[in-house]
Amino acid sequence: MLKSYLTKSKVHPAPLAVFRIVFGLLMLVALIRFWTNGWIYSLYIEPDFHFKYYGFSWVKGLGNYTYLLYSSCIIAVVGIILGYRYRLSIILFFLLITYSELIDKTTYLNHYYFTSCIAFLLCFLPAAHYFSIDAIQKEKSIDAIPSWMVDGIKLFLCIVYFYAGLAKINSDWLLEAQPLSLWLTSKYDIPLIGEILKYRWVHYAASWSGMLYDVFIPFFLLYPKTRSIAFVFVILFHIMTKIFFPSIGMFPYIMIFGATIFLDVQWHKNQLEFLRKFAAKFSQKFNFLKLKLTKANVLFKPKQYILPLFISFFIIQIFLPFRYLAYPGELFWNEQGYRFSWRVMLMEKKGYTTFKIKDSINQKTFYVDNADFLTPFQERQMSFQPDFILEYAHYLANHFEKQGHQNIQVFADSFVALNGRPSERFIDPSTDLNQEIESFKHKKWVLPLKDEIHGL
Amino acid sequence: MKKLISIKVVLLSLILLNCTSDSDTIDVIEETELNIEEQQTEFDRSSMLSFWADSIIIPSINSFYIELNTLNAYATSFTSNPNSGNLNQLRDQWLKTYQKWQHVEMFDIGVAEEIYFKNRINIFPANVQLIENNISNLGFNLDDSYNFAAQGFAGLDYLLFGIAQDDDTIIAKFSNSSLNYDSYLAAIISKMIDLTISVKSDWEGGYRDSFIQSTDNTATSSINNMLNDFVFYFEKGYRANKFGIPAGVFSGGPLPDRIEAYNGEIYSKILALESTTVIENFFNGVSYNDSNITGLSIKNYLDFIENDVSEKLSERINNQLQAGRNKIDQLNTNFKIQIEENNHEMLLTYDAIQSTVILLKVDMLQKLNVSVDYADADGD
Repeated sequence: MLKSYLTKSKVHPAPLAVFRIVFGLLMLVALIRFWTNGWIYSLYIEPDFHFKYYGFSWVKGLGNYTYLLYSSCIIAVVGIILGYRYRLSIILFFLLITYSELIDKTTYLNHYYFTSCIAFLLCFLPAAHYFSIDAIQKEKSIDAIPSWMVDGIKLFLCIVYFYAGLAKINSDWLLEAQPLSLWLTSKYDIPLIGEILKYRWVHYAASWSGMLYDVFIPFFLLYPKTRSIAFVFVILFHIMTKIFFPSIGMFPYIMIFGATIFLDVQWHKNQLEFLRKFAAKFSQKFNFLKLKLTKANVLFKPKQYILPLFISFFIIQIFLPFRYLAYPGELFWNEQGYRFSWRVMLMEKKGYTTFKIKDSINQKTFYVDNADFLTPFQERQMSFQPDFILEYAHYLANHFEKQGHQNIQVFADSFVALNGRPSERFIDPSTDLNQEIESFKHKKWVLPLKDEIHGL
Repeated sequence: MKKLISIKVVLLSLILLNCTSDSDTIDVIEETELNIEEQQTEFDRSSMLSFWADSIIIPSINSFYIELNTLNAYATSFTSNPNSGNLNQLRDQWLKTYQKWQHVEMFDIGVAEEIYFKNRINIFPANVQLIENNISNLGFNLDDSYNFAAQGFAGLDYLLFGIAQDDDTIIAKFSNSSLNYDSYLAAIISKMIDLTISVKSDWEGGYRDSFIQSTDNTATSSINNMLNDFVFYFEKGYRANKFGIPAGVFSGGPLPDRIEAYNGEIYSKILALESTTVIENFFNGVSYNDSNITGLSIKNYLDFIENDVSEKLSERINNQLQAGRNKIDQLNTNFKIQIEENNHEMLLTYDAIQSTVILLKVDMLQKLNVSVDYADADGD
């Protein structure tokens, strides 16, 4: 059955074309917003020092050329939207946006990672073989593609939701209503509903419904009879998250518009027909697209390697979020295996970490003012994430060795509070971090959380 | 088909929503009567802000202003008639005014922030070289930012205690008008008065009203600004400036010449204790004019958020503040001597204060869900 699905089942290319256009438009807005908010400068140019993903220290900041990178991204996105030189555009977009994310892991967000993943998948999909400038120019269009090519996108969205839901099945989220209790209480200034956000029952209701939504929405979106109502829920849910948490930026829109891929093929055809009529007002050439809306049975034949590639991608996606099981200790505390796992808005963590530098030759010790080296944003992220703390400790050791100090030892004085618990000492203050090496191994110098969080 | 159109409408309106969501929403200020029973489910932020403005900030500034004028009068007496009695009267008043200043420094908000009030009144140590240059060359402009270290209390500290080894020589220097010490003294005090008038009239003008109405939880709201000022003052103005820097925490060796009121020496502890009181009073909502009167405070705010928690954070903060005070009590009146003779005690005091920093910056700000750095970036 699976074999016949993979080889025989086919679907109209309209949903993929709509997805390409929608994704491109979202990226266009996101890029312009990123630029106009001044974040290219403040996140990628201003910092003297960038935190690197393990194994990606070769990715360098580009200074003012970062603007060139983002300009190229925007041009590539326009290519994606129009379906003009699509293959080149999407590959360029994927490489450039991923490169910029790799410059500094301080900026890591699940939806940036999501963006890169989608862009990666789109590199291999025939999203511009239909309803695109490319199709008009080649005077060649298709009207059927293998189902798995559209279903792959759906599967990926389902994984995002489902894993985000599974991550919420823990004692803090469900039994303590944390961190929502902390977050919602402080949203007293939201008009109309702000008044009720201080009540405990609201925190519990929000926590439980958030978990149930994430776990079950993929199934309701997949099942035809519940699809429409599920989509309404998608819209409502993400609007609520945008109201409560304005700082989540583009994420709600990406999820809402991304979920249109689940809608019926007819809906997508209608959108494209609407677009075609609009475009035809400017150029008769676009009427070419109309023809292909009605002609039948030109099936797109994907290259041999794409299906195995997709299968590998999904195997990684399914197992990667569980890598935390390989580490001892509390995931939220140690954050070993936390990223790239769709743990979205899951915890409230605040830290205060300062570094004691000891010149062990002349026994001189002093504390570092983090503001001399890090932006406030970097300092905040560094203060509660062990891999940041280690990387920064090495950077400091290097810096002070260059200044002429010898046999430098670096000790962290670090306190972290998680989900409303009292702050606890986070890093073993007797560990010379300059002697510790970053790796995928368990970081023994992170002191254990004096509490247990149960659940997945 | 109808359903499909409606989805399109919703999606379109979402795009519009995105375009407008960054702009400010309309404020709805509700004046609610506060009573004690209500405190469990209601917290009147506006009333807390009124208390801060009317019972702490404005009275502190007024009181500082009054002492400054007396300081000015005594300075005139001293310069017109330089003798030991007038010098001591002026020094006493300098200390009194300096103590009042401790009540004002924290409120780095409104005009105070715009004119760098705290940087101009209390940057220490003073730049002695700069002051002597200004005095001998005249033609100085105290509004230039490089002159910030040549004025304010540290400047006065140098003029009244540091220009010579003994009082007779100091008096002699002030007696000789051609040396310009008298006119520089007058210029510094007059500048302090001018700056204070700007801040005072700002609060007495429209600022007070806009201050108490800004109750939202945003980067620019009064509550968040005040919490930031409080935490920043505690960490920088109090912990680092008065203890950490002179004790050598950031330099690898003690720097006794970095204490507050360095030339006066014996006043450093009095000023530090005064500042401790200011911090305790602000946290607990104690009125400036009458310590028996209390109003809504950060402590109440924390207790309101922690109404179902038995071990209150506010209690832990107060205990740790007390632990810090106990350490300070045991220090030498003269921090310079303390640092030179037994810096270890100074470092232990610093550690006790540092523990409070963690409670404030980590625990308190997490409970209140207020950000201190306002890093402008998305989160998820």
